[in-house]
Amino acid sequence: MSVTTFAAIDIGSYNISMEIFELTRKNGLRSLNRVRQSLELGHDTFVLKRISMERLEELTRILLDYRDIMKEYGVSGFRACAKSAFREAGNMYLALDHIYRATGIKIDVLSNSEQRFLGYKSIASRGEEFEKFIEKGTAIVDVGGGSIQISLFDKDSLVTTQNILLGSLRVRERLAAFEKETIHYDRLVEQLIHRDIANFKRMYLKNRKIENIILVGDYFTNLIFQNRSDLNKTESRETFMKWYDHVVSGSPKDIAEELGISSEMSTVLLPMAVLYRTLIDELQVETIWLPGIQLTDGIAYDYGEKKKIIRSNHNFEQDILKAAKNMARRYAGNKAHNEAIVAAANEIFGTVKKIAGLDPRANLLLSVACCLHDCGKYISLVDVAECSYNIIMATEIIGLSEKERRIIANVVRYSTTEIPDYQELRKTELLGEDDYMQVAQLAAILRIAISLDRSMLQKMEKLTAVKKDRELILTVSTGEDFTLEKGIFMENADFFEEIFNIRPVLRMKGGR
Amino acid sequence: MAAKQTVRKAEEKPAAEKIKKQETVNAVPDLDAYSNFYNREQSWLLFNGRCLSEARDSKIVPLFERLKFLSITQSNLDEFFMVRIASLKDQLHAGYQGVDIAGLTPGKQLEALSAQVHDFVGLQYSTYNRSLIPALDKAGLVVISDYQELTEEQNKYLDMYFEEEIYPVLTPMAMDSSRPFPLIRNKTLNIGALISDKKAEGLGKKGKKKKETLEFATVQVPSVLPRIIELPDGSEGKKTVILLEEVIRKYLGILFQHYDVVCSAAYRIMRNADLTIDEDEAEDLLIEIQKQIRKRQWGEVIRLEVDETIDKRLLRILKKEFAIEDSDIYPIAGPLDLTFCMKLYGLPGFEKYKEPPYTPAPVPEFREDEDIFTSIRRQDILVHHPYMTFDPVVNFVRTAAKDPDVLAIKQTLYRVSGHSPIIAALAQAADNGKQVTVLVELKARFDEEHNIAWAQMLEKAGVHVIYGLLGLKVHSKITMVVRREEDGIRRYVHLGTGNYNDSTARLYTDLGLFTCDEAIGQDATAVFNMLSGYSEPDRWYKLLVAPIWLKNDFLKMIRREADNAAAGRPAFIKAKMNSICDPVIIKALYEASMAGVKIDLLVRGICCLKVGIPGISENITVRSIVGNFLEHARIFWFHNNGEDELFMGSSDWMPRNLDRRVEIVFPVESEALKLEVRHILETEFEDNVKAHVMRADGSYEKIDKRGKALINSQAIFCKEAWSKVKKKQNPTEGRRFTPAKTASENRE
Repeated sequence: MSVTTFAAIDIGSYNISMEIFELTRKNGLRSLNRVRQSLELGHDTFVLKRISMERLEELTRILLDYRDIMKEYGVSGFRACAKSAFREAGNMYLALDHIYRATGIKIDVLSNSEQRFLGYKSIASRGEEFEKFIEKGTAIVDVGGGSIQISLFDKDSLVTTQNILLGSLRVRERLAAFEKETIHYDRLVEQLIHRDIANFKRMYLKNRKIENIILVGDYFTNLIFQNRSDLNKTESRETFMKWYDHVVSGSPKDIAEELGISSEMSTVLLPMAVLYRTLIDELQVETIWLPGIQLTDGIAYDYGEKKKIIRSNHNFEQDILKAAKNMARRYAGNKAHNEAIVAAANEIFGTVKKIAGLDPRANLLLSVACCLHDCGKYISLVDVAECSYNIIMATEIIGLSEKERRIIANVVRYSTTEIPDYQELRKTELLGEDDYMQVAQLAAILRIAISLDRSMLQKMEKLTAVKKDRELILTVSTGEDFTLEKGIFMENADFFEEIFNIRPVLRMKGGR
Repeated sequence: MAAKQTVRKAEEKPAAEKIKKQETVNAVPDLDAYSNFYNREQSWLLFNGRCLSEARDSKIVPLFERLKFLSITQSNLDEFFMVRIASLKDQLHAGYQGVDIAGLTPGKQLEALSAQVHDFVGLQYSTYNRSLIPALDKAGLVVISDYQELTEEQNKYLDMYFEEEIYPVLTPMAMDSSRPFPLIRNKTLNIGALISDKKAEGLGKKGKKKKETLEFATVQVPSVLPRIIELPDGSEGKKTVILLEEVIRKYLGILFQHYDVVCSAAYRIMRNADLTIDEDEAEDLLIEIQKQIRKRQWGEVIRLEVDETIDKRLLRILKKEFAIEDSDIYPIAGPLDLTFCMKLYGLPGFEKYKEPPYTPAPVPEFREDEDIFTSIRRQDILVHHPYMTFDPVVNFVRTAAKDPDVLAIKQTLYRVSGHSPIIAALAQAADNGKQVTVLVELKARFDEEHNIAWAQMLEKAGVHVIYGLLGLKVHSKITMVVRREEDGIRRYVHLGTGNYNDSTARLYTDLGLFTCDEAIGQDATAVFNMLSGYSEPDRWYKLLVAPIWLKNDFLKMIRREADNAAAGRPAFIKAKMNSICDPVIIKALYEASMAGVKIDLLVRGICCLKVGIPGISENITVRSIVGNFLEHARIFWFHNNGEDELFMGSSDWMPRNLDRRVEIVFPVESEALKLEVRHILETEFEDNVKAHVMRADGSYEKIDKRGKALINSQAIFCKEAWSKVKKKQNPTEGRRFTPAKTASENRE
């Protein structure tokens, strides 16, 4: 049996965790070891806006220790992910370089959407349990040190996901100056977060009934019902409230002693408890599920999927696509037109992927770009490309990295305007040469796909793409006049040929 | 985590008031009443008394085994003084007025203990002088206690022996105005003398007789020489020995040639050896402990033993120089420091007066034709030492060190032997490129220096050494081997009740479990994460771990039995341990007893719990086995309404184990092993040879054996261990219905 041992490292705002997993086709993920060290990187970032040298040295020491632990389990692969404490640090690149030189560990700084998607993946990996839970209106609430992510599910589909910059550590730091002026610290926290939660509710909840809440992402979530048998169990709102009252009424010292955590950690626990309670109250949730999983589960799951060791029943790419479609709907996109473009683009992609070295992930990015290719019309009909670009860049799409979002935005932008040289583009975009090539390739496909439904009337009944020598033969079956599409197609064929070194040729079956 | 219950202030609740309160409120007994508990030090003295009773038992215990027990009582008592009495003295000096579990202040405890120890020492020496010496004489071993009894031939022999062997290593020291009183080392045997200058004799200036000027002199009896010196004896089959100090006394004049030896006597001091380490302030625990060990030599003198015939003037000087009170002076009616009895035990030629030596049996589950990991994979394996050999434990580490599939080895070490094969294997493992992590507990009392040396040696070999935890002693006994196998990573774990010490494993009764259970592997990983300073786990799957969790786990199980009994369901607790003195646990046991739970305890040493308190502990029995092997295993059996739960581990029911140490208690889950462990406990509860039963007045008595078959649990386990081996070798042996072999099988 082929066995892979993998280490997932989560560099959080106040904890550096590592979990070692064994991955097999037969058994999926098996956790072998989980270690955690406290380190308040978030304190530096959220207060000083940079990671101090002292904490960086401490992080280096921890990661070197973790390397030793990896050896104990013969780890063959690892991934270290950092979140907001790195993302928002002014000296992020210097810090990353420092760590890499000292430890040989390259840290991936996750975008918020990537981070949350990994968390979400790990819950969804619970399979039936998860699918059953989300049949009713469900919110996944992921409270970290820097922010909260709320993802809403309705009838088993992801409706929306939003990030609110109110994590437990961030709240603690923000209120540190006023804490001593009140004996009702919990009310202070409540007031601070109420507005954001209320806004979220007004914008996204509307008349949706949220019955369940899934609490994930933070090691504190495991402390809520600290009892051996309680992990991975659902609890009622009443039980949660009992726990909440207990935490709020106890001093941080008492709570620390009771839960076996440091006093410093217990001061983070209180804002977290208030965050949870406010959400549970505002959303009027009945049942709470603590799946007892953390980001490390998601990192390992993602690795297993990429290495084709794990196959999930849940289609995560569909979630990303669904999120993109929801976004398109919000910006008054034409659903039928978008679907036609997605279909055409996928057909072309399938034919050129080998010669262009495009992977399935690129196909997903292309599909998202198809959905959002004209969302800028919502703002301006004159400068659609630029407006679409700006909308995409300003909106998080769960599951996509910052770079992927940038690629999509540029694909959309250059699907109607001329793509500049790489030297020109890199002046404004954080994209490498490979990324530039991918933008050009996907934009070329998107241009052809758009041209095939230029009239937005879905004239194509069928489209087949076949590569023959240096030609891409696109055979369109249609009963309608295809003149406009043909014309636009011809305008874009040169660009396509320039990129793929294949001439797209349109052949008609039926039609005119 | 401190045991708040034991540090109650005397003025808060005087003992008398508490007792009165209990008398007036009969309906609900006050379980906190001091009268419900024994003082732990006095209880310990009773344990030493039980050891002494073995030395006095001429009916059952062979003569030379009795010598061994007498020696043990001495070393026990020495340690008791250096640690427990020292600690009480510290409290007294600090003006601490808190009371113990039984309501006694440090002063009151010391007062009571002094009287008891004086009586105890009296009994030790009456045993030695009146019982053992005459019996040894009869058996052919003559111990000469006074050099004046020596024959001419023996005198001649000693003249030469002294000159060649002893004299060169002696360092006589005198005290006068220019030479201060010398440093007398802890526990060393010394001879003090008063000497007078020969030149100063005669008449003074005015023709008057000079006043005798006496000087104090002392010489340490060298520990590098054997304490027992065999003397030539003309008679056949006899051995005559004399003690080293008596020989030095004989030749004392040679050491002080220009002086007359006016009087001399042996003496020995005991110093406060309790280390006070400020762990929070210590920058380097190892260096801090080294410093403190050096200080031990200067610790306060808390006990002075002197030959009872000592000259009063000599005693006065010792008393003054050691700043010791009369109650701490112990006049001894015989040779000081009875640990030499162990040397007498070792003399060859008296085998018929000893128990036949026992060779530990092999463990049949470990087959010779397969590696240890295959054996453990097949089933959980229980090892019962010293009835079974300790070799599998050593082999476990040795094999892991060499096995190419082993990635890591982790172990906790508390006390290890002088030439530990385990340490050697760990060093080899590191050399072979394994990830080796070892926690060496530097604070293991009296093994500190030893452990520092091991720790440094292991570190040099490339082992990741953890020097214990701040504020906690790591007493757990756990080894984990991480191995990469075809179907993934597998963790092999050994958990024990005793130390990883191949020497004591031949003397102490302990239990160990080898397993590759996934949940225990996870917990073992979490234990080492915790010890390495990484996170504490969110939960434990199977192990019960102290501090923080273990006490509550025990309390829950005790209370569950109480609930079962209260509901009319069958309920019992059977447990075996070294000591019980945790007030919270004892009170929970009282409550369980009151609810109707039958509680049988096997407590070898300290027991602060009282049996037979009306309405409180009538359902509790306490036994103590003091046998040839030191009872050391901890087993806990909770009936759990028929779903019996059995645990074993390193923890006693003492506050230090539950609150101030890292301890592991582990479940026995396999039905076959449960039966074995139950059998061990049941046999020990049936012991009527070596068991002492606690009476309601706190005293212990041996069981009346009249008309009963003798059950010596240790002897039974010795036999059983070997019969298990034979049974494995000849599976049909002892079967009444053995299928006949076929003709073809017979031909083969």
